[in-house]
Amino acid sequence: MTSILQLQRCTTCGKIQYPPRELCSACLTDTLEWTAAPATGTVLAITELHHTHEPSFYTQQPITVALVHLDSGPTVVCFIDALCAAGDRVHIAASIDTAGRAVLTAAAQPPAAAVAQSQ
Amino acid sequence: MNYADVVACAPITVPYVRRSDKSAAWWLGTALRHLLDTSGLAKGQIDGLCLSSFTLAPDGPAPFAQYIGLSPRVLEFLPYGGACGIIALRRAARAVQCGDADIVACIAGDTNGANTFHDLVAQFSTFSRDYVWPYGAGGPNQSFALLTDHAMRHTGVTRADFGKLCVAQRQWAQRNPLALLRGDLTLDDYLSARPVALPLRLYDCVMPCAGADAFLVMHRAHAESLGLPHVRILATIERHNAYPDDPIQYRGGWAMDAPTLWHHAAIGPADIDVIQTYDDYPVISMLQFEDLGFCAKDSGADFIRNNEFGPGGSRPHNTGGGQLSGGQAGAAGGFLGLVEAMRQLTNQAGAHQVPNTRHALVSGFGMINYDRGLCTATAVLAA
Repeated sequence: MTSILQLQRCTTCGKIQYPPRELCSACLTDTLEWTAAPATGTVLAITELHHTHEPSFYTQQPITVALVHLDSGPTVVCFIDALCAAGDRVHIAASIDTAGRAVLTAAAQPPAAAVAQSQ
Repeated sequence: MNYADVVACAPITVPYVRRSDKSAAWWLGTALRHLLDTSGLAKGQIDGLCLSSFTLAPDGPAPFAQYIGLSPRVLEFLPYGGACGIIALRRAARAVQCGDADIVACIAGDTNGANTFHDLVAQFSTFSRDYVWPYGAGGPNQSFALLTDHAMRHTGVTRADFGKLCVAQRQWAQRNPLALLRGDLTLDDYLSARPVALPLRLYDCVMPCAGADAFLVMHRAHAESLGLPHVRILATIERHNAYPDDPIQYRGGWAMDAPTLWHHAAIGPADIDVIQTYDDYPVISMLQFEDLGFCAKDSGADFIRNNEFGPGGSRPHNTGGGQLSGGQAGAAGGFLGLVEAMRQLTNQAGAHQVPNTRHALVSGFGMINYDRGLCTATAVLAA
């Protein structure tokens, strides 16, 4: 059971990249497509934020944020379940935040919605 | 290729302040006035200008030249953050060496109003704005917390090790009237400070402020005729976006270029009398110790434990207090270590002078973008 994450893939050289851009950072072509990459990876590092520059986050502190090395190649900045630790295997899920931005969250288990979708 | 008889001289600082309602142009222009006062040069004799500033926008270098009534024949804008000072030195030295300019003023400065830092961080780059800011808007504290967490897990370096560096820098700052943070700081204060972005606490994090630093580059004969104490440039390196395939940053571009640096300098790390690392967060100082060859990779913790970095110590480090005790005046943070090294080498450092300083290393690190710092540069200077 794997949750699904849409990432940019270059159809010329095969590189999967994140953050997305208008060119492939390896071969510089613009032959990019969105692909369903395995949303699994390993936690590289975690921080617990007690200070934010954005008032909309004031009430949510402390916020746990991680760098996760995806099995498909890139490293993503993401929210993470506070129970996770560096070195853990995690699943990444995308959602929309209150400002309408797509954000990624890592957790030990794939989210229920993603499980249901993939069944 | 070496820099022949090109020298750097006239280090000046427009004293930093926590907040300023002046514009970046005021800070940069005032720095140029200080350079003229220090050197005795007329404004019209400055025919090259290397500028760095985050808050000069929307103006760039040419509108700024008009603003201050200068007509340079070499004009560089170097948006490389903490690496801008050494890169300015490199660009200026080659321009003088090759005859494109006779006297180059290198200036970095920024203002810091009520919302300056927030606006700068929120709009720093497309990657940072769209793929980091939405995750708690922690700014550089957040990025460096992740790099620090990783370094602690993988090398065994502890908060006490980082604290040792911070406390030593505060001891230097207490001898430097230009440093903004001069109160007593103990290791206990450091360890028990309020959390900011764990594992980082308050004294791990540089304090944004306003200010400017500057120096001049010219032929030695010219500096001598002006009676200006000067320093020689033994070697420099510069690298951008090094090791892009490392999943997390545990080394910087210094590691790629350190052999070149020491080869051209024709001295080694053991010959360096004062080390000025880029220190917006202490983990980055440790990476510089390792990547520049002061110790082996992943042995930074032992290097910190086996040396003393404050006044009278075995490895005088960030001898003006660094940014952690001096403040970070935007792009001027990329000049702070350079002007401090120039003061040490010309015996102008006053109460924080390290006796008999012959060789200095200055290192820069800039542009924290997405998950890592992109720009590195280093200079080895000699009296």
